[in-house]
Amino acid sequence: MMNAGPMTLERLDSLLAAYGADEAGWPAGERQAAHELIAASDEARRLLEEARELDALLNAAPVEKPSAELVERLMAARPRELPRELTGARRASGGMRKKGGSLRGFAAALWPYGSSAFPAGALAASLVLGIALGTSTGISPIATNNGVAITATETADSTDDQLIAIALADSGYIEEWTQ
Amino acid sequence: MDGIPDDELVAAVAKGDEDACRELMKRHLGRVVALARRMLGNQDDAEEIAQEVFLRVWKHAEKWEPGRAQFSTWLHRVGTNLCLDRLRKQGMDDLDAIPEPASEDPTPYEAMAQKDVARRVEAALQQLPPRQRLAITLSHYQGLTNIEAAQVMDVTVEAVESLLGRARRALKAALATEKDELLRKMNTGA
Repeated sequence: MMNAGPMTLERLDSLLAAYGADEAGWPAGERQAAHELIAASDEARRLLEEARELDALLNAAPVEKPSAELVERLMAARPRELPRELTGARRASGGMRKKGGSLRGFAAALWPYGSSAFPAGALAASLVLGIALGTSTGISPIATNNGVAITATETADSTDDQLIAIALADSGYIEEWTQ
Repeated sequence: MDGIPDDELVAAVAKGDEDACRELMKRHLGRVVALARRMLGNQDDAEEIAQEVFLRVWKHAEKWEPGRAQFSTWLHRVGTNLCLDRLRKQGMDDLDAIPEPASEDPTPYEAMAQKDVARRVEAALQQLPPRQRLAITLSHYQGLTNIEAAQVMDVTVEAVESLLGRARRALKAALATEKDELLRKMNTGA
């Protein structure tokens, strides 16, 4: 398909039909010859104009920007830094800020790949389970059980998107990202 | 962070750097959403695909090998594979076949009756076979070179050029009836 010889109208037609009128998209090795033909031929200029019109039509279909919700979901699921006091690791990149306090850092150490709310939610759920078991044996008061249950439910709601995101990240593409 | 190469940003992402994550999304998230939107035809599906792509970036960032591949090309390849998987799950097993219009969607001719130029073009794009739609998306809309598009599609440069030629000729035919009207509307902003 590539043409190392002189540019013909037929080849220019194929080139414009494939890549459009923007010469930035033309194969580098054929740009100069295409320019020369367009400068010398009325028919070549007509073909170029047709390609420009189709380009203009295609550009009339814009796409929307990513939603703020998508950005925030992804930020919530981003990797978290292991705290220096637990890993002994030194930051290699200059100017990269370290965020979060010691409590957040400890939570990140327990759960480095998701929101630090995840271990908190898991802990709350464990408490609910433990209290529910305790209640069944008559050890824990019901009022305490209800109070913790509400807390756990709210935590589960707030981390729902993040848990879905983590689950999605675990599906497939383990060995080769692109397969 | 403007001057920091993608490879360095990915390394910082692996270390949990919040600013690097935001910068990487600022540079590439919109393009991944755009790729998926062109391929799948709706914004919700496009954002789902983009989310899956970036979750893979977060997950595998520490394994990224600088210089092995251009990060943006790799992103396009992952996004492309996810889009093609989604189309196959929707019953589009033959990626060279012309899609059946969804019952709620207008055919190109019905779409022609609509006043919105963008919707007419979008409808024509969605009527292309997926591989042709992918070629025109990568080359025209995403601005990839023919070599980059060939890498993303895992085909030869000649195959990309052939797909592009068929795609643009089909689009030209689909939009020919009212081309002049569309161009006039675009020029006047009507």
